[in-house]
Amino acid sequence: MNTEERQLAEMLHRVTPEPPRRVTVEDVAFRLANEAGQARGGHREPREPRVRRGLGLGNLGRGRGWAPVLAAASVVVVAGASAGIAQLASHHSPATSPVGGPSSFSASASTVPSSAEPSQPTASAGPTWPPERIADGMWDAELINRQSFTQASLAAGYAGVSSLYAISPGYLDRISPVTGEVLAEVPYTSPIPGYPNRPVVTYGQNTVWVLSSYSGSNVVLTGYNGTTLARVASVTVPVSGQVSSTPQGVLTSNGALLYVAAGSSVAMVDPEAHQVMKQIPTSGQVGSVAVAPDGKLYVSTGALKLLAYNQGTGAQLGSSSMTGLSSTGGNLVATSGGVWGTVGIGMSEWVWFAPNGDLSQAIRVSQGPGAGLYSVPTVSGPTISGGAVWIGGSQRLACANPATGHVMASTAIPADNGVVEYFGSVTMAGNGRMFALYQNQAAQQSGVATLTPPAACSG
Amino acid sequence: MLASVEVLPVDGHPSEPDGFRDFVEARSSALLRSGWLLTGDWPSAEDLVQTALAAAWPRWATLTRQDAPELYVRKIMVNTFLRWRQRRWTGEIATGRLPEHAYGDVFAQVDARQALIAALDRLPARQRAVVVLRYFADQTEAQTAAAMGCSVGAVKSHASKALARLRDAPGLAELMTGGVAS
Repeated sequence: MNTEERQLAEMLHRVTPEPPRRVTVEDVAFRLANEAGQARGGHREPREPRVRRGLGLGNLGRGRGWAPVLAAASVVVVAGASAGIAQLASHHSPATSPVGGPSSFSASASTVPSSAEPSQPTASAGPTWPPERIADGMWDAELINRQSFTQASLAAGYAGVSSLYAISPGYLDRISPVTGEVLAEVPYTSPIPGYPNRPVVTYGQNTVWVLSSYSGSNVVLTGYNGTTLARVASVTVPVSGQVSSTPQGVLTSNGALLYVAAGSSVAMVDPEAHQVMKQIPTSGQVGSVAVAPDGKLYVSTGALKLLAYNQGTGAQLGSSSMTGLSSTGGNLVATSGGVWGTVGIGMSEWVWFAPNGDLSQAIRVSQGPGAGLYSVPTVSGPTISGGAVWIGGSQRLACANPATGHVMASTAIPADNGVVEYFGSVTMAGNGRMFALYQNQAAQQSGVATLTPPAACSG
Repeated sequence: MLASVEVLPVDGHPSEPDGFRDFVEARSSALLRSGWLLTGDWPSAEDLVQTALAAAWPRWATLTRQDAPELYVRKIMVNTFLRWRQRRWTGEIATGRLPEHAYGDVFAQVDARQALIAALDRLPARQRAVVVLRYFADQTEAQTAAAMGCSVGAVKSHASKALARLRDAPGLAELMTGGVAS
């Protein structure tokens, strides 16, 4: 080596920091066990990092971490001849055209009387089954419904009648949290297939809001009556530039207002007046939005920057970043202690927690290879005074402290004859019971499951 | 920085090879630091090291007989890194760096690390790999060539071009001639 090379070598040793944590044998064993399980289940991940997070129709099967999406589809196809699916098929009438808003994208609002709707909701009809103990009875898991729902689409409503809402292929469903019966449904197709699309319930109006259009420069929200699922409103949102090609949680609410990512901006929508109240410009295409109980609005852009705004004024309050990532992050959830989200790291799906919304202080909460949208964090209960953040997947189901990010309790999700099972989209209904979406590829079972988590999850 | 709050256990992992734990405990820090130089962030570095160790696990007995487990692990790391970089999406340029937590002149250390990673980011993947293997992992040119699957001449060429690029990197000259202690 010459002098310059020696200086470089010395500098590299001097400046390179010590790692914040060591790799352990258990980390390696975890990865090996997962890879073996994936191979047995026929869902082995590609051995390269995911380039783009998401599963557009154009890259079906190529995205890392989306095996469950494919698996969910395969369940429907493979199980088509099974009794459960056959009953379901008869339950669902043939889909009419999906509900959509006007194609223009200037700020507008319209109130749509349900009688004028081409896509009428259906008061239900669905058959019911007795609850069935599943997954070795972990956390007293019982399947109360045998329908195939889109991952990360389960939401709860509290106004009037307690209800669950979820998206099934071609429909938005209202589900009884008592019997699991589909109480009402309306034809609906997610405009962002392969990405999380959770209905948002605004309690004051008992309205369920979903994205009905989200592509290019076109964002439309549609509101449905929370009880009948009759369409009651449609709001077209102006888009700054183009919407994100990796939308990962782009619609949320603080109870009073809706917030939706609209290109390089976030739109505040009044769900009662059906009007766009304000457009908050952002420095980058927004991939995810979340509202915190302290009045902050969090926004993620790119791979990966977290911006904080005032929910009311739209004033920017701060930003932080996590660099060197090869995929975008998103699926933000904000709690009293900070912000949660997901990011694809190499072959793994990580859930992180950023205390006080500072990504530079982020910690890893879980690492779930192949968990797909089942690992998207969700919140339950009043997280200021308790409640929990829930992280599902194919390995563990965990509840975490919304203030500190620490896992309070977790349970292993069993494999059925070596084939992975999934739990995710955990939510709490108005009756206080916990629910999750469940999928078992081996048994070709899927649906809504009830859970009885340990007391530690109450915070 | 991403630190693990809880590494969730998994049952039924394959049996652990003799000596594997000792190696991981002794060398994971050095491997992670190499991973950090290659990738620029700890999560990716950790993923890189885990990937390499997982590949080494089933071959461990053979590797120890050949007295070459670390060479093999580094080879897997470099090749995995090169494969990642080939497929990496570069549509958005990150604008910041994670602050590290340390004592002393924290800001100067952060600046130094940012300058270092920014300089390494200027290098093509293979030049960066040569810099890390030759000048951080202290591997010979022959070992570096073996790890990268290229000739010694190619390693010399990559090293020469890398040094030329690094000379022009802002702030790096000061670091190389003294700079900030870690």
